[in-house]
Amino acid sequence: MSSVDPRAGAIDRVRRVLAVARRIADPGDPLGREARARLPVAAHLTAPGVELALTECLEREASDLDLASLAAHAGGAPRTWVVASANVCTAAARAIAFALATSPEVLVRPSRRDPVLAELVVRGLEEDLAFARLGASVRCTTALAPLPGDEVHAYGSDATMAAIEAALPAGVSFRGHGTGFGIAIVGDDDDLAVAARALAADVVPFDQRGCLSPRVVLLEDADRVERFAEALDRELTAWHLRVPRAPLDEGTLAELAAFAATFAAVGRVHEGEGHLVALAASLRALALPPASRAVLVVAVDPQEAARLLAPVAPLVAAIGGRGGTLLEVVAALCPGARRSALGRMQRPPLDGPVDLRGGSVVAPAAPT
Amino acid sequence: MAADPDPLAASEALHARVREVIARGASTDVAFDTLALDIARFQACTVGPFGRLVRSRGLDLALARDAASIPAVPTDVFRLARVAAFPEALDVRVFRTSGTTAGARGEHPFRTLATYEAAALAWGAAHLWPDAPRLGGPARAIVLAPRSDALADSSLSFMIDAFVAHLGVEASWHVDVARQSLDVDALARACGRARADGAPCLLFGTSFAFVWAIDETSADLALPAGSRAMITGGFKGKTREVDEGELREGLARRFALAPDHVVGEYGMTEMSSQLYEPRLVAEAPRPDLYRAPPWVRVVAVDPTTLEPVAPGEEGIARIVDLANVDSAVAIQTADRVRVLPEGVELRGRLPGAVPRGCSLAIEELTSSADPIRR
Repeated sequence: MSSVDPRAGAIDRVRRVLAVARRIADPGDPLGREARARLPVAAHLTAPGVELALTECLEREASDLDLASLAAHAGGAPRTWVVASANVCTAAARAIAFALATSPEVLVRPSRRDPVLAELVVRGLEEDLAFARLGASVRCTTALAPLPGDEVHAYGSDATMAAIEAALPAGVSFRGHGTGFGIAIVGDDDDLAVAARALAADVVPFDQRGCLSPRVVLLEDADRVERFAEALDRELTAWHLRVPRAPLDEGTLAELAAFAATFAAVGRVHEGEGHLVALAASLRALALPPASRAVLVVAVDPQEAARLLAPVAPLVAAIGGRGGTLLEVVAALCPGARRSALGRMQRPPLDGPVDLRGGSVVAPAAPT
Repeated sequence: MAADPDPLAASEALHARVREVIARGASTDVAFDTLALDIARFQACTVGPFGRLVRSRGLDLALARDAASIPAVPTDVFRLARVAAFPEALDVRVFRTSGTTAGARGEHPFRTLATYEAAALAWGAAHLWPDAPRLGGPARAIVLAPRSDALADSSLSFMIDAFVAHLGVEASWHVDVARQSLDVDALARACGRARADGAPCLLFGTSFAFVWAIDETSADLALPAGSRAMITGGFKGKTREVDEGELREGLARRFALAPDHVVGEYGMTEMSSQLYEPRLVAEAPRPDLYRAPPWVRVVAVDPTTLEPVAPGEEGIARIVDLANVDSAVAIQTADRVRVLPEGVELRGRLPGAVPRGCSLAIEELTSSADPIRR
């Protein structure tokens, strides 16, 4: 094991990941062609859904400031293991970039369900002479066998995180990125049509299956709820024509049917061929629509927001909005959540891990 | 549909009709449909969420001819909005579901408990002590649930306490709500007293409480011959899950019960009636299937279309409960069932969508965060 500072050259290594990502985004590059061939099945997205993800959401550029922030978020370990998850088919790129900001040696265990991006990024880096000149290495693995001093970055459900962490040997640092969802806030000053257009662009990528995907929209003014829901319904209808939602599995269809019936009783429902928008003028508790381009729009007074959101605040991974009292209240309730403008929730800058709730690395126990 | 000028009087009249059915212990399909539709028409004008549901489907209940036309209110609605035909000021009791990760509990308000109690007693007596005349009635009740006065929002505690009061038997309660604990020493003493009496005993509890008891004590819990247990509830969100067959076997062994004296009960906060396994009912052709009372109808529906499935096929339970006079006469659950001529087969809860990576699953938000079943 080298005594060289593992963070040396971190930003240069991340830049090589961005270079590979540009190849994957390019439909003329072999990596790009392979991504487009394999992802519709592996990621369970339609071909236009894959194209949207690769061209709009895959991180290909980053400012110097963002890269410095990414490096600052990263720890430092001689070797980092990445346990990638499925769902967001482009997520492995950022996960590998973040790991390479941590260590010069990275081992990636791709998701069994969707290994595509992880495999392509690793292959692209293996082929990249500039990456090799940095003295770095990255490879795929099916095992997770860290040694004391290593760091593990895991992505997936909270249950998966707990299971991985529990199985790690002493002396291994762990950074888990668990489940979450996004909340959008439409302020009193926001133009409803503009906000609906921007929000639809956040809902559609990955068919809403990411932890940053907005599933709940809050408005202060109850009188604007119906108009916003109608505008969002129109936008999502238009999106479905360009980027159809992939067929839903039986479990999601059942959850969607239950959610629609619930909100037919509690408020109103606009159901389209590839989406659902439910609305309520007020709610006693928060309900979460299934991740299927389904959105709940609800009015909430800023003073009531704490009551409604406090139980789920730790699960909020992303907040979208322009400003206003309600946004500030929600942000204060969910201090770890990423903040973005509407329309940018699925395209956060490469300034750290995708999910900022995790904070620092869990300190390893002393080796026994 | 025009609102009744005196909704309380209308409600009282409907309660009286339902209690007549309960007292008779029988109803024809036509009488059931007629009463169900009368209740639905009343609720369409008085219960906000039910009225919205009816309007959203474009239904004219005045033209409806059977209970299948009544839209079912999903149980989650009880968590999100008030489901009641009367104002909060008239609440005499609010039953609540267990807590969830989302921090909200379903609420079922009542302005009278007379119909609830009548329904519980009638069907409970038919399934838990049908042999009372021969036995001279059970002599003692041992309850592994909180007392109703300690957990006033528990429909289960209310029902068990109603049984105890009706039977006039000596009873002991062994779950401490404040400490969230089971007093196993007192339980063992109660079992000892029952053995000394020698008369059959009624044992009530949730699956989780019974596992608790079996796990936490090696004391002698044997009960006299003829004793029987009512078991209810699942393990969702609990610290330990046990196979139901294994639990029944363990329960019978530890309390020295005949295996056919462990009677399953199915109920929920959003209902005013219960279903039971007819294990103690002599003529029951399938004692392992749950029987609905004559004032309840269970239909299996497709989870994605909410339309009835073919007879005998699996679906999720849509329940018309006539005793839900002031809330929702038809409710939609997520419990998987097969409805057979001999009874209802419970097949567990509908699993949610497959959890996918970092996206929060609904199941994670609605899982129980409360160790005591209500």
